Amino acid sequence: MSQYPVVHLQDVTKKIGGKTIIDRLTLDVYPGEVFGFLGPNGSGKTTTIRMMVGLMSITSGDIQIAGHSIRKAFPQAIRHVGAIVENPELYKFLTGYQNLVHFARMTPGVTRQRIDEVVRLVGMENRIHEKVKRYSLGMRQRLGVAQAVLHRPKLLVLDEPTNGLDPAGIRELRDYLRKLAREEGTAVFVSSHLLSEMELMCDRVAIIQKGRLVDIRSIRRETEAANVTVLDDMVFEVDRPEEALRAIDGRASARVEDGVLIVTADRQTVASLNRRLVEAGFNVYGIRVRTKSLEDQFLEVTRGESVG
Amino acid sequence: MKIYRRVGTWVMFALVVLGSVGMSLLLYWVLPGERPSNWSVMQIESLFLMNLVMIFTVVKSADAVAGEFTQGTIKLLLIRPWRRSAILLSKYLSVLLFGLIMTVTVFVVTFATTVPFFGYTASPTDLMEVSDSNPWAYMGLWYLYRFITLVVIATFGFMMSAAFRSSGLSIGLSMFILFAGNLISDILAWMDKPFVKYVLFPHLNLTSYLGGGQGPLPHHPMTIGFSLGVLAAYFILFNVISWTVFMRRDVS
Repeated sequence: MSQYPVVHLQDVTKKIGGKTIIDRLTLDVYPGEVFGFLGPNGSGKTTTIRMMVGLMSITSGDIQIAGHSIRKAFPQAIRHVGAIVENPELYKFLTGYQNLVHFARMTPGVTRQRIDEVVRLVGMENRIHEKVKRYSLGMRQRLGVAQAVLHRPKLLVLDEPTNGLDPAGIRELRDYLRKLAREEGTAVFVSSHLLSEMELMCDRVAIIQKGRLVDIRSIRRETEAANVTVLDDMVFEVDRPEEALRAIDGRASARVEDGVLIVTADRQTVASLNRRLVEAGFNVYGIRVRTKSLEDQFLEVTRGESVG
Repeated sequence: MKIYRRVGTWVMFALVVLGSVGMSLLLYWVLPGERPSNWSVMQIESLFLMNLVMIFTVVKSADAVAGEFTQGTIKLLLIRPWRRSAILLSKYLSVLLFGLIMTVTVFVVTFATTVPFFGYTASPTDLMEVSDSNPWAYMGLWYLYRFITLVVIATFGFMMSAAFRSSGLSIGLSMFILFAGNLISDILAWMDKPFVKYVLFPHLNLTSYLGGGQGPLPHHPMTIGFSLGVLAAYFILFNVISWTVFMRRDVS
């Protein structure tokens, strides 16, 4: 992970009519990472994104993109940003290609070749010369991504990018974003309230609640997890869990919760525990890993606080 | 570029051209005896078509910014590496350019469609008010005055456009003001108060100065310079309003 953040938010605060929408938000996003921005509806995700791309003024604090303040040096800062804010709203009476040409003209240094390249990248070669009004939402979303990456931004900001996409489209988008982060070193900033989606897509996730940053955490990737010995909570479904607990006592940190036996152990221990239980005459109906999903963590973190 | 990719724009041009051809035919048909000169026919047609152009330009200007808000595309425009002022300026210039092209079109087309029917007269005797001056100079000035009016009205529509986010509302309001303006200046024309000289609407009728006229208000003789000054003041006011509103606005 590189040392200089692409985006640096410093004590960003937004007040509208005396009400604090965003309260002293500070965070960094680094090149080559997919950064998730998670929060319940109305928590200020979109407001933050609008401030990041200069659509809204910042009450206090500052946002720096590639070292340029969005308040003081807007053109220099926004040059490094590609974004879709909410729905990809494009000119419906133009074709997809004309839309791209239009946006390319507004950005210095985008050639025709680059447009063609981007069109191939999002897989729209066949339909790019049709009018946007004939596109499905998924096609529009792709075109939205295309216009956002035209100028090879260092930062790609996507607000709820998976809204309205079918599972195949979501997967495609996810793969594409990861590829972009990996190969071009783009920092990708994604907001969502879809937890499971963020879990699959992001390297790090910030959770915000009522305009306040609640937590930032890294998401462990499966590839990393395979090489290390990890202690997981294993759930044993057995008959007579209380007796089973006594039978394996001392071997591992074991406990009984909700009528199942839970053991925190690595893979080897799990296997030997299973053997012991079977040999001791217990019926083992199933063994599974109890991973704490992001959803659990999210609910844990935001528990008890009402939205808004 | 976006104005000209819309079908609606071409329909407007077609209307102007067809309107001119149609009117020439009509006038040729209803006036069988003494044929007026091509210049006076051209003026009648221009009067009609320029009103049409004015409506079209107001629609375009009122739609220029508000339309982007309605479509939501304003977000994509504003996140390009340009200051907001540059985006607003280019929008404004594109509207003025549209108005200019329309005006030139009307001039060319009315001339081109009247000459074949009514012949070309070098020094017409029946051109309204001024028979002594050169018809080219007269028509040129007439078009210039109309264009100045057009610019002021387009600026007004543009202000509406920047102030309201819905294009329907801004188009509607601008059109209403445009038509109510004629009525208001008629009413003002009968009033004796000094303030009427500073109201915008009568000054939109600049062509009343042509041929040595005293201006649009019979009770208040004015000069063309004064009218232009008042128009300029409003022009600046409208622009300042659109600029400040647009620069400050949070886009949601």
